[in-house]
Amino acid sequence: MIDFAHVTYTYPDAARPALRDVSLSIPDSAFALVVGSSGAGKSTLLRCLNGLVPHFSGGTLTGRIVVDGLDPVAATPSVMSRAVGFVFQDPEAQFVMDRVEDEIAFALENAAIPPEEMEARIADALALLRLTPLRRRKLDTLSGGEKQRVALAAALALRPRILALDEPTSQLDPQSAAELLEALVQLNKSLGLTVVLAEHRLERILPFADQVIYLPDDGAPALAGPPREILPRVPLLPPLQSLAQALGWSPLPLTMEEGSAFSRQLSAISGQRSAVGGQQDTVGAVVEAQGLEAAYGQTMALRGVDVALHRGEIVALLGRNGAGKTTLLKSLVGLLRPRRGEVWVEGRSIAKDDVADVCRRVGYLPQDPNALLFADTVLEELHITLRNHGSAVEDAPIAPEVLLERLGLADKAQRYPRDLSVGERQRVALGAIMVTQPGALLLDEPTRGLDYRAKAQLLDLLRAWRDEGLAILLVTHDVELVAEAADRAMIMDQGAIIAQGNSADVLRASPTFMPQIARLFPASEWLTVADALYGLSCASTPSS
Amino acid sequence: MLHAAAWFVWLIAALVIVSATRNPLYLTLATAAFMTTARAIRRPDELSAAPLAPGRFALYVVPLAALINALLSRTGDTVLLAIPRAWPLIGGPLTAEALVYGALNGLLLTALFTAFTVLNLAVPVRDLIRFIPRAFYPVAVVASIAITFAPTTLRQMQQIREAQAIRGHRMRRLRDWLPLFMPLLVGGLERALQLAEAMAARGFASDGGTVHAARAQAACHERSRMVSIAGLLGILGGGLLAAWQQPFWGTALILSGSAAIVAALWLTGRSIPHTTYRRAPWGYREWLVVGGALVAAAAFLGWGQGSRMYNPYPALTWPVFETLAGTTLLGLLLPALVVNEHDVDSTANPR
Repeated sequence: MIDFAHVTYTYPDAARPALRDVSLSIPDSAFALVVGSSGAGKSTLLRCLNGLVPHFSGGTLTGRIVVDGLDPVAATPSVMSRAVGFVFQDPEAQFVMDRVEDEIAFALENAAIPPEEMEARIADALALLRLTPLRRRKLDTLSGGEKQRVALAAALALRPRILALDEPTSQLDPQSAAELLEALVQLNKSLGLTVVLAEHRLERILPFADQVIYLPDDGAPALAGPPREILPRVPLLPPLQSLAQALGWSPLPLTMEEGSAFSRQLSAISGQRSAVGGQQDTVGAVVEAQGLEAAYGQTMALRGVDVALHRGEIVALLGRNGAGKTTLLKSLVGLLRPRRGEVWVEGRSIAKDDVADVCRRVGYLPQDPNALLFADTVLEELHITLRNHGSAVEDAPIAPEVLLERLGLADKAQRYPRDLSVGERQRVALGAIMVTQPGALLLDEPTRGLDYRAKAQLLDLLRAWRDEGLAILLVTHDVELVAEAADRAMIMDQGAIIAQGNSADVLRASPTFMPQIARLFPASEWLTVADALYGLSCASTPSS
Repeated sequence: MLHAAAWFVWLIAALVIVSATRNPLYLTLATAAFMTTARAIRRPDELSAAPLAPGRFALYVVPLAALINALLSRTGDTVLLAIPRAWPLIGGPLTAEALVYGALNGLLLTALFTAFTVLNLAVPVRDLIRFIPRAFYPVAVVASIAITFAPTTLRQMQQIREAQAIRGHRMRRLRDWLPLFMPLLVGGLERALQLAEAMAARGFASDGGTVHAARAQAACHERSRMVSIAGLLGILGGGLLAAWQQPFWGTALILSGSAAIVAALWLTGRSIPHTTYRRAPWGYREWLVVGGALVAAAAFLGWGQGSRMYNPYPALTWPVFETLAGTTLLGLLLPALVVNEHDVDSTANPR
């Protein structure tokens, strides 16, 4: 179905190739998962399938590609659009029209499908993704998950035999992501569509994938094959596979059921967690809110929320999209004035304070760090924040160079921020916020779009800051991150906090937010691989 | 959802009726009919209500127009208030007739505004774009993207403003716009690139896609370009001939030149392999709406002959109301009736 023979591709003006001597073949009706860190060439590989590389991007491509009997380099993206449907990362950035049915019709109009047949195909695509009731809706009234399903329906309208998806779930909450995946698996199984999907969050996809393509970023050749052959050679894996490798489980479990078969054989499971949480100081809260109520027009976004954030703790805030998490963060820094309730920062009410004054004491990292960055150099971004607050660089509470050192950006100080990788850009944004040394830091979905390595770097940074006494509130969909980092967790639903407490208790009590290790060992208190390895070693020491 | 063309006919009938009368009773009745229609077609799932409700528009415009006219026009028998003539600008008698005449103008504006509000609610801008000739297909696509791009850009602007505010940014000088403008510009360009990529992936190509099609299309474009240049020359020459006292040959040349340009457009359009998705087929509802609107307009022009016009000068009289003429206006309400019925099954599969 898909064959790459010695494909090397270099973007225009790039020093080194994005794909180096890639040879692989994906059989018909496969569900192939493309893995690798940011910048390893996952998106480039997908774009080779429909000719966007090199037709859209320019650059030089050598080697031979065959997709569904066609050569995407000789044919054009317009011809390939009938063979390969493409779904991008951001559902909003790929919409051309403003209504669901028009959006699906767009590809059909371009392909000059007769209007009578168009009608039938649109109805089919809508029915396949259970979108028929939304047919006449405007796209901007849909949720993120619905939007991504529309994008998928639009990609299917030309009835391609191959679907290529570039991190399609990275912008979705876990439930919406699961719905999208379910739709993909159904298309793969019932229609025999070949699915090629790039993703960072492997734990979501691995149970369904029957092919894994690994693109190493050190220039080693790409690997492709069945998951059990390839995964052992991939450095960073989801908790289930990491634990399985550490304990030598064979064959490597891919689904939770396979993992449980192994974990059930282990007896004598002690309940203790390995890591000790931060030293929380419960005397005075850095940020405290009581009875917060906020509304957008007629819709209540917050219904009486109480929060307290103390020095030296990481608190995770979980919940579906639209539950009110971002609204809460904005209320805490004064970007949004609540209808009722009050917020105190270091014991002082912020009701009369400027946003800028509040943000000097409470750092807030918004979802999209790109909105923050505009200076010519990384160092300049930090200086600008200081100037905004009217303080000279010499009087800064922390020298910008020192902060960059801590962020691991010391060698990037003179680079243009927008040229950096996603993870680095986020750390620049963190620097621009933390240069005033606030007592608390609020982060809105900080691991969105980060690969495992960037995520681990962020985690180390947050832990170090917590241990120095920073109060951290983390809004996230990433359950494994919460398991690794959070001391406390809260779950929000429809504007109210419905569960809170010790993160182990909260996560283990909720079926949607349970981490993989907790599922494997339901009798323990463990959340992470480290917990499990520590607990298992404790259990085995006395007997030996 | 009704066919866009049916709405156009409805709008034209509505405009004909409104502009053919000055009778406040008919105008009020017509406005009420438009408002009812607007209310009936507003879909609950669309938050995009009209930015300015017709009722509020009337509230502002009618008193304002009345006041302005009363201050500008000093004729009329019923003097309400005699301001000394010596006072600059506002001096002179204030008459009831002038007030009523001004209010009438305001009412007329309200009626027109409401009719357009209905069209705005009923026909998505996208459908208006579909009326662009096929030869300008790329133009149409660009226009439709611009419409989607604008709200996204506004949202992004909001995001950036918040992001800059939290790092202590304040708006004091002109230079302070830079932190807002730069991310917006760069973000906008990035988004445009992504969109272009998404469009290419879904088969949008202005050159027909394949090398062969592109070559054939280029040849066709070359031909139609020659034809349209010839057409332009014909029109120019015809104009000159007409100026040189040769009206017959001049007109003939202008007409044939115009025909050549139309033909060129048609040729170009044909070479673009593209079909259009028909959202709403023309059905009995469309016939009902078009028929109702046309009959209403014709009947109103015929039966309302005696009562259509109303002039408050020189002394106020009660406007005449002819029941038959008033009743014909109800023909404009037909869309409200048929749309309601159609909305119920709008989610069902049409086939």
